[in-house]
Amino acid sequence: MAATPTPVEVYESGDAALRVVATSPDRERNWAAVHALASWLETADVDGVHGAVPTYDSVLVEFDPYITSARQVRAFVLLGMRQLDFVGAPARTPRQFDVPVVYGGEYGPDLQKVADHEGLSVAGIIALHTAKSYVIRCLGAPAGSPMMDGPDFPLPVPRLKDPRLSVPAGAVSVAGRQAVIAPAAAPGGWCVIGQTPLTVLNADKQPLVPYMPGDLLRFHQIPAADFARLAGRELEASA
Amino acid sequence: MSGTLTIQQAGHAVVTDLGRFKGPRYGLPVNGALDQFSARAANILAGNLDNDPLLEVTALDFRMRADTDVLIAVTGAPLTLTVGGRECPQWEPVSVLAGETVAIRSINTGLRAYVAVHGGLEAPTLLGSCAPDTVVGFGLKLSAGTALGARKTVPPIKQPYFDLPLFRLGLSRPGISARPVIDVTDGPDIAEFGDTADLLFETSYTVSGRSNHIGLRLGGALPERQSTAEVLSRGVPVGAIEVPSREELLVLHRGRGVTAGYPVLGVVTSRSLDALAQARPGDTVRFRKTTVAEATARHRAAMRELEALRTSVNTVFGLLGVGAPASWRELKPASGS
Repeated sequence: MAATPTPVEVYESGDAALRVVATSPDRERNWAAVHALASWLETADVDGVHGAVPTYDSVLVEFDPYITSARQVRAFVLLGMRQLDFVGAPARTPRQFDVPVVYGGEYGPDLQKVADHEGLSVAGIIALHTAKSYVIRCLGAPAGSPMMDGPDFPLPVPRLKDPRLSVPAGAVSVAGRQAVIAPAAAPGGWCVIGQTPLTVLNADKQPLVPYMPGDLLRFHQIPAADFARLAGRELEASA
Repeated sequence: MSGTLTIQQAGHAVVTDLGRFKGPRYGLPVNGALDQFSARAANILAGNLDNDPLLEVTALDFRMRADTDVLIAVTGAPLTLTVGGRECPQWEPVSVLAGETVAIRSINTGLRAYVAVHGGLEAPTLLGSCAPDTVVGFGLKLSAGTALGARKTVPPIKQPYFDLPLFRLGLSRPGISARPVIDVTDGPDIAEFGDTADLLFETSYTVSGRSNHIGLRLGGALPERQSTAEVLSRGVPVGAIEVPSREELLVLHRGRGVTAGYPVLGVVTSRSLDALAQARPGDTVRFRKTTVAEATARHRAAMRELEALRTSVNTVFGLLGVGAPASWRELKPASGS
């Protein structure tokens, strides 16, 4: 497999960025490809290329348009895609993170709405959300959030029509076919179904968050009474 | 020799630099000076590297006392600058004597000013940048009494002959208007907005008071997305124009979350992001369509202006002995080197 490079499309995204989207029918291959491209760009340390933000099937490549240009970076990215052998990329042993969550109520104000939308009970939503380990696909906003594939809900979850101005740290949310934990308070347009008492982000540590793309994360339900007892404990790998 | 500056009135000032360019890879926004041209110009005028830590003063009055002799330069929004009570010019190097107060008042047009201090300021860094990150809670907090470390002191520079302005460095200052025209290139998802995308260029938008370094919120005629399919989160560039709510347009600035799942209608050019950094609540913005090639050319022209400024500053500072042991008083005729 992968004797041919993963096909990509490159889109202009202003004068200082390009969006590269992997378009093979295989989602896992696309994910591996954009992360491999991001790592390669980082290693190559090309003059004028600031870095890359890989997510699920795309990577945003940011550059300084004084030193290089969208045309040059596009050519370089396409060259890179031809050079990269994704199958040979060394597999890192994923670590496992277990995340306790209080679902619903003040902790998860959108839980009922999500249940209604999916045609499931609240218990059914919680059961699906806690049913499997999720691969952390990328670090996203805000503050290095672990972005994952969503639970096996029947339907994608719509984003809020009017995003909240502030969602608290620890909020556990879903949107579309994605799931996330907010490491820090920030505005948010996702449906908040619960909250973890654990501290995800430590601004005094390097790295700021304990996980990396490729690690595994699983949620389990705890009663609201346990929230205060666990509050402030730091998220750590369990295995 | 290093010195200190004591904050007397902090207003909304922060110590920042050009940004945390390694941040986005780890889910952190680039942040840094919102008006990059003015920030670079301030540092160059103060004889610094473009990326040295400097002060970004937003909207409110600001005062600090120099406890040692320093050289500063103030750029950005038009304002009243006084040093020891004397009114001083912006966009020029200014000598400050030990004990004198630097005061910035009356930012009425534009929003952000930059104060660079020769040698740069001391500030802790995260991923190589001192730029505050309000979401993570990183950054030097300034309040009355905070002592800022200045890395160098500079003896006062005086005009030896007449009471003429010391420097005529010939930088054309960016025009700051309450009705800025903002250049935009097509976003990667413009097709999702169908014909409504053109609305962006047909009407004007009003800057909302809820705007900040994360993004500007603009009221006006809103283009509408034609599909409702959920998109996977992806990296979004600084300058991305989105329509996330039914009320406002959102233009992401340097504090933006690095990923989002809203389609990107357009992207504000690097040059126009500087202009947006100076837009005040209530200002009226118009968008103008441009191409990436044109935007790149404009950005490069501005950067070449800054390079020319650097050459002039280096020449003048070399003659005056700023940053070197000699001063103009000791210059000998035709010394050759």
